[in-house]
Amino acid sequence: MKSFVFVVFFVCATAFAAEQLQCEHKKVDVPKDWLDMVDPCVEKMRGQIQEELKAAMQYMAMGAHFSRDTINRPGFAKLFFEAASEERQHAIKLISYLLMRGELTSRVSQLIRRNLVPKLTSWPSGVAALKDALRLEASVTKKIRDVIIVCESNPTQYNDYHLVDYLTGDFLDEQYHGQRDLAGKVSTLEKMMEKHGALGEFLFDKKLLD
Amino acid sequence: MKAFIVFVTLCSIAFAIEGEYCYTDVVRACQTTNKLSTSPINCTAKYGAIDAVEEGLQKYVNHHFLRSFEYLLMSTHFANYEKNRPGFEKLFRGLSDGTWHDAIELIQYITKRGGKMNFDLVSKEVKEEEVSEPNFELYELSAIAKALDTHKRLALEAHMLHSEAARKTSKYHDPEISSHLEREFMHKHRDIIRKLAGYTTDLNSLLVGPDSSLSLYLFDEYLQKE
Ligand SMILES: [Fe+2]
Repeated sequence: MKSFVFVVFFVCATAFAAEQLQCEHKKVDVPKDWLDMVDPCVEKMRGQIQEELKAAMQYMAMGAHFSRDTINRPGFAKLFFEAASEERQHAIKLISYLLMRGELTSRVSQLIRRNLVPKLTSWPSGVAALKDALRLEASVTKKIRDVIIVCESNPTQYNDYHLVDYLTGDFLDEQYHGQRDLAGKVSTLEKMMEKHGALGEFLFDKKLLD
Repeated sequence: MKAFIVFVTLCSIAFAIEGEYCYTDVVRACQTTNKLSTSPINCTAKYGAIDAVEEGLQKYVNHHFLRSFEYLLMSTHFANYEKNRPGFEKLFRGLSDGTWHDAIELIQYITKRGGKMNFDLVSKEVKEEEVSEPNFELYELSAIAKALDTHKRLALEAHMLHSEAARKTSKYHDPEISSHLEREFMHKHRDIIRKLAGYTTDLNSLLVGPDSSLSLYLFDEYLQKE
């Protein structure tokens, strides 16, 4: 009798199991030998993703400011909204890199935190915003250099050649080109505004729409 | 009777002047010889119910940003070498891109109506989410379920803003806002919600039984081509 109950129970159990939704699947045993990024470097990279998104939201605030009817600088707004989406793309590129190296298998939920609210939200002029943008880019460049320093040697003495090359050749390259472009814009605009303040900014703004 | 006509005329003049802040301000400003002494001219783009719904729209923008980042994290999770689901990665990345661009569009809309953006505001319910540690590293079906709920909440928030703008009082009724929300958000939300609901239907039947792992593989292949 006992065995009969057991058999019934077993049959029912398997029948139910077959009907059950299988939402979760087991973790596969993939060799770990290829995972060669070191923790301090990974942490720095995770931090940089957050920094890029912070920059994105700061540019977003600039775009919002210059879109206002009482400011009315659509060219500046376009420039800054595009910069915001570019910064988000930088964050996504860093994420993709870490994924390619076998990272981000855990603590993904903590990767982006809710502290991205832009600090500055209004500017006295277009040239003031361009100068802030240049300062922002310079600080991002410095932070990328900090990532490189940690990933190249400190503090584990492990040189992550490939990542350092990627950050140097790809990210720093874009930073320096972008900074040069902003610096040039600041110069042109400030010279135009020296004698023709309002007209200078008006014309420069329309030029940015092209 | 005469007195009444005078009264009506006076009222209509007062009314006409009330609708012409900008013009009267400009006339005054142009007559002032000293430019520095003029107060700012009242010539904003504001009309209708924008003041009444501005805060709601600002929150709606910020909610879009938060959801966009959450979808990005869900996408990231599916792209690690252990999950290795490029189709799911693409699905959630698309949701992240979409909410991001909708947020920008919405900021532009607020400023079109003479408003401004405030990045600090979120609703009480969204603020409350911060007390619990969120988890965006989910299995396939759970992730789609979460996205479906999230997008429904976004859709209902648009409904709420719509009703606020369309409150049929002379003060608030603003069909331009309602129409914009309908055209730019509601129909898009409808399609996304329908798609996600369809995916849960598929997975709900595909994941039954011993072939669920193979089903997920094939479903992911399908999502890659979507
Ligand atoms: Fe960047």
